[in-house]
Amino acid sequence: MILEEKNCCLYFTKFVAPVIMSSNTIIEVNHLSKIYRGATTPVVNDVSFAVERNEIFGLLGPNGAGKTTTISILCGLFPPTSGKVMIDGMNLNGDLADIKQIVGVVPQDIALYPTLTARENLNFYGSMYGLSGKVLKDKIELWLTNFGLTDAANRRVSTYSGGMKRRVNLIAGILHDPKILFLDEPTVGVDVQSRNVIIGHLKQLNAAGTTIIYTSHHMEEAEYFCSRVAIIDYGKMVTKGSPQELIMQNGAANLEEVFLNLTNRKLRD
Amino acid sequence: MTKLAASIIKELIILLRDRVGLAILFIMPMILIFVMTLIQDSAFRTLNEKGIPVVFVNNDNDSLGIEIGKGLRSSELCTVYDSIDGKPATAESAKQAVANGKFLVGIVIPKNATGAIRSNVTQLVETTMSADSMEQKNAGTDSVNITIFIDPITKKSFIASVTASLREFISAIKTKIMFRTFSDQIAELIPGKKKSTSAAFDQTQIISYSEVYASKSIGEIVPNAVQHNVPAWTIFAMFFIVMPLSGSIMKEKTEGSIFRLHTMPSSYLLLINGKIIVYVLVCMIQFALMLSVGMIFLPMLGLPALTIGHSMAGVLLIALATAFAATGYGVMVGTLASTEQQGAIMGALTILLLSALGGIWVPTYVMPQMMRNISAFSPLNWSLEGFYELFLRGGTVGSVIIYAVKLMLFFVFTMLVASVVNRMRKRV
Repeated sequence: MILEEKNCCLYFTKFVAPVIMSSNTIIEVNHLSKIYRGATTPVVNDVSFAVERNEIFGLLGPNGAGKTTTISILCGLFPPTSGKVMIDGMNLNGDLADIKQIVGVVPQDIALYPTLTARENLNFYGSMYGLSGKVLKDKIELWLTNFGLTDAANRRVSTYSGGMKRRVNLIAGILHDPKILFLDEPTVGVDVQSRNVIIGHLKQLNAAGTTIIYTSHHMEEAEYFCSRVAIIDYGKMVTKGSPQELIMQNGAANLEEVFLNLTNRKLRD
Repeated sequence: MTKLAASIIKELIILLRDRVGLAILFIMPMILIFVMTLIQDSAFRTLNEKGIPVVFVNNDNDSLGIEIGKGLRSSELCTVYDSIDGKPATAESAKQAVANGKFLVGIVIPKNATGAIRSNVTQLVETTMSADSMEQKNAGTDSVNITIFIDPITKKSFIASVTASLREFISAIKTKIMFRTFSDQIAELIPGKKKSTSAAFDQTQIISYSEVYASKSIGEIVPNAVQHNVPAWTIFAMFFIVMPLSGSIMKEKTEGSIFRLHTMPSSYLLLINGKIIVYVLVCMIQFALMLSVGMIFLPMLGLPALTIGHSMAGVLLIALATAFAATGYGVMVGTLASTEQQGAIMGALTILLLSALGGIWVPTYVMPQMMRNISAFSPLNWSLEGFYELFLRGGTVGSVIIYAVKLMLFFVFTMLVASVVNRMRKRV
């Protein structure tokens, strides 16, 4: 009987747990490397990590650490040199078209047409995700209202402030209710008010079931916002864990101190 | 709304809000057609309507000199002057005036030229009528030497044309004098025979010429500045969409939209198709506008109206094929260029080069053989030849299909290049 119980526990640990774990993993990155054409050193060097369903995962690192390259590979912008990426059970290498349907991307630069209005931009980008008619219209109105842009919706984006552009840039990536949202420094260059609104709505999205992968240089924001973070430097994974775990492990006062201790204080290019 | 429709609407809105781009696409080519046609038409008229200033020195003061003077004055080719700065022209002053550029041509009839011709003819008649015809003397040894001065800056082709006309004209008058002298001599030799008149000479013009432009159509199409300039500058304008189109592709790259678009479940081809449809439409609107300039507005300025031949299907076919070729070229330039400035320079320079080679600026038939061979590779030349075939030679769909096929193959080629380059760029 005891033996049976022991065997049962072993079976659970060995076979069932990984299945339960893996079904909860939405992104699995294994030994990912990227060497740009003509370069000799890898920008991303043997990086592995997993992102759990419904978590906010922070990818942190100094300038040139390989964050944007990693996110670009995960979005399918270009292929890795080596390594394997699974997204929601699909292989990035073969199921890119399906992966693009469930992924939303908010790039670091404002990726909008400046001569179009916010509403025209969102109409276009929403249509590119296959949305149309009333569904698209309602979603645009909802998000414009949530982000306080209704009054300015028919103005050309070129006339917007930096914070307003950031907000439209974010809406364009979430209109189609993506399962996974990649955010590349979504709050860079915005005022505190805009940042609060953006972070608040991202929290709501996450609460509604969206997994968020986020890069930022704001350590304070990452500490507050992310459930887990990974710090990469010179293309390599330095550490990963929840902000609290990392703070405790490193005997630091906050995540910024952890970051500086692990990536050193030397200026980067 | 489908993805393609969304892409088309987006392109249309962006284009309509780009006022400078619209001006480049529609207003500039219209101005270009007006200006170039007016200039060339004016130059054409100058040459035809008393355009060539000629100084005429008549030292003969007899039939030959008087007839040549009369003939020149009645000619539409030139304006005749017989004095320089208020003084009667002499051989020396005429040469000097032509050398100074005051006149393009100077004609000097030598003293006693008519007398010399008469004497030569008389001698010839006497020899012919003499009993001992075997002992014919050398008649006409004192030949009449008419001097023609020509301004050295004048183009060779123009000199050849003018001197040929003058020689023909002088030769006709010499023959007329010879005929009269001959008939006078015969009248003296044959009692009771009346002297011949000028009318009798005119009746001897047994060969006549009629110049007809070799058009395949029933009605005659007359080539003029409008017939040449309207299609030429319309093609140039259509190909100039390379500038806004490549600029639009470059902006998507620099403004980051292309980054986002590549992360979306939409193909590159779909995005490009939206652009192609809009810019082909723009080209067709340009074409319709330019034709309306040629058919409606140029005649209001006293210029001839554009005649588009008899095959509307052929005209539409070449216009559409040109629109696709121009659009494909714009996509290729926009894909190849790395910056907006690079795209603008690459687009503008290559279009200028292809248009020069294609016969837009200078007709290909005046080019050296080597350049003519190169010209055959310019898509602007295929389009121009297609329109010339329809507008000037009265061609049909069958006779222009080859040009349409060439233009469409060029479109396919540019799209393939753009696609390959785009794929290579993604392989970073």
